[in-house]
Amino acid sequence: MDTSKRRFLKGCGGVIAGVSVYSMTPQPLASNAVGDSEIKYAMLHDENLCIGCNACEDACREVNQVPVGVSRVNIIRTGPYGEYPEQSYRFSRHSCQHCEAAPCVKVCPTGAAYIDKDTGIVAVNEDRCVGCQYCIAACPYQIRFINPLTKVADKCDFCQQSQLTQGLQPACVLACPTEALVFGNLKDPNSALVKALKSKPTYRQKIDLGTRPKLFHVRTVDGEIVL
Amino acid sequence: MSAFHFDGLVWHWPIAIYLFLAGLSAGAVFFAIMLKHFKLAERAYLSPFVQAAAIIAPIAVCAGLGILVIDLTKPLAFWKILVFYNTSSVMSMGVLVLLVYQLVLFAWIGSVFSLPVIKWLDGRFHLLAKCLTLLARHEDVITGVLVILSLSLGAYTGFLLSALIGFPLLNNPVLPLLFLISGLSSGAAATLLGGVLMRGNPNGTEVKFIHRIEIPMILVEIMLLFTFFAGLILSGGQSQVAALNAIGEGFWGWIFWGGVVGVGLTLPLAFNLWMKVSSERKLTYVAVTASFSLLGVLLLRNFILYTGQMTGV
Repeated sequence: MDTSKRRFLKGCGGVIAGVSVYSMTPQPLASNAVGDSEIKYAMLHDENLCIGCNACEDACREVNQVPVGVSRVNIIRTGPYGEYPEQSYRFSRHSCQHCEAAPCVKVCPTGAAYIDKDTGIVAVNEDRCVGCQYCIAACPYQIRFINPLTKVADKCDFCQQSQLTQGLQPACVLACPTEALVFGNLKDPNSALVKALKSKPTYRQKIDLGTRPKLFHVRTVDGEIVL
Repeated sequence: MSAFHFDGLVWHWPIAIYLFLAGLSAGAVFFAIMLKHFKLAERAYLSPFVQAAAIIAPIAVCAGLGILVIDLTKPLAFWKILVFYNTSSVMSMGVLVLLVYQLVLFAWIGSVFSLPVIKWLDGRFHLLAKCLTLLARHEDVITGVLVILSLSLGAYTGFLLSALIGFPLLNNPVLPLLFLISGLSSGAAATLLGGVLMRGNPNGTEVKFIHRIEIPMILVEIMLLFTFFAGLILSGGQSQVAALNAIGEGFWGWIFWGGVVGVGLTLPLAFNLWMKVSSERKLTYVAVTASFSLLGVLLLRNFILYTGQMTGV
């Protein structure tokens, strides 16, 4: 009896030692620390300037070859608010928030969802994705989807692989006729983005979840107050 | 809004079946170990109930994993989950637990059944016999590690869902406990059902032992379910909305009250209490009680998975 107890304790000790050594090994791509890079990209959507024309969605689809039936960016229309003829709609951008503490990155079992250390962009490593859809379920903003062609979890990457490689602004920003979208580097105090963020009151969605999103919104002033 | 298709639904019923099978496997192993340790000792391999658990546990966990792999959008890339790990991901850590669990599970089965298998081999496959002897000599260590692994696996099925911060019903600290306990009771039910179907004595020590644990376990499960929903409702906000959407009127409300609470918990509890008085247990009685428990747990997994994704923050 005594020897079996001792053996059992030895076994437990072995497991505990193994687990503690494993947890000391460095984390793979999925890390929340975003490094000391000079660049941290973010975006601002001014809901007062947006007219809901969907030019952003079309431009994104074309540039990033997003198949029909899914979308990386949507403009959600609510309303109408007010009495005719004084009526107005509200438009809000629905796309990846590029969270600093991204839930999708935390839950991804293979590290396919990761935060690019140089830019702060939440990106997808297509080769590593197995399509378990844990990230889609974990994203509180529900912006991820399975690309029907590649079978990989897909979403907005601020055009990291298309426009940014050519030194251009994201496709949605260039396509917007009213300049409702501002894209830029949060760490550059002279960027148009930082200046806009400092001149207008903005909000971010669901910040109580601790996700620290980098998609900012300027709230619509038209229409009634909604509780 | 239909019960099986709605906005925001990501994970469908295959995931619920996977969670059910993983918990069932863990529970069956747990009870087989308890049976051997407290009642049967060296004669465990002769018991149809331990035999049933030794068949059910590996089949259930492998079937569950098979369903999980087929449910991936890239099933052929599943090996990448085994190669790349992410310590902050519950799924990644769960895969690790599952892998080790399966290894130790087969080692345990080998050690428990080493005597009859070596006898059957009768001098053939010398190496295999030697391995089995080695496993049998270390059975105590294997058993201890397997108990820890089976409990981890049972709890993992709950942690997998409770890591989803966007859904208040799932992102709930009681969920892993609820899934652990209900997984154990489904394992007990599967062991009983398999055992009596393999001509085990429905009035034997094994059945009496498991039934004696079953009553407190059902009571704990009822308490956990109550805490789960009371906690959500008292939290207010979207948590309250999520809880009332789930157990209020509608398809899933019926499943919860009729299936989970009625068939899965109340009836087996009533049967068990009834049986305290009269002593003779019949095959139909054991089989029906066990089937009700199994059905209840399967419905609970589906109920939590679907209603959990119904209401976001």
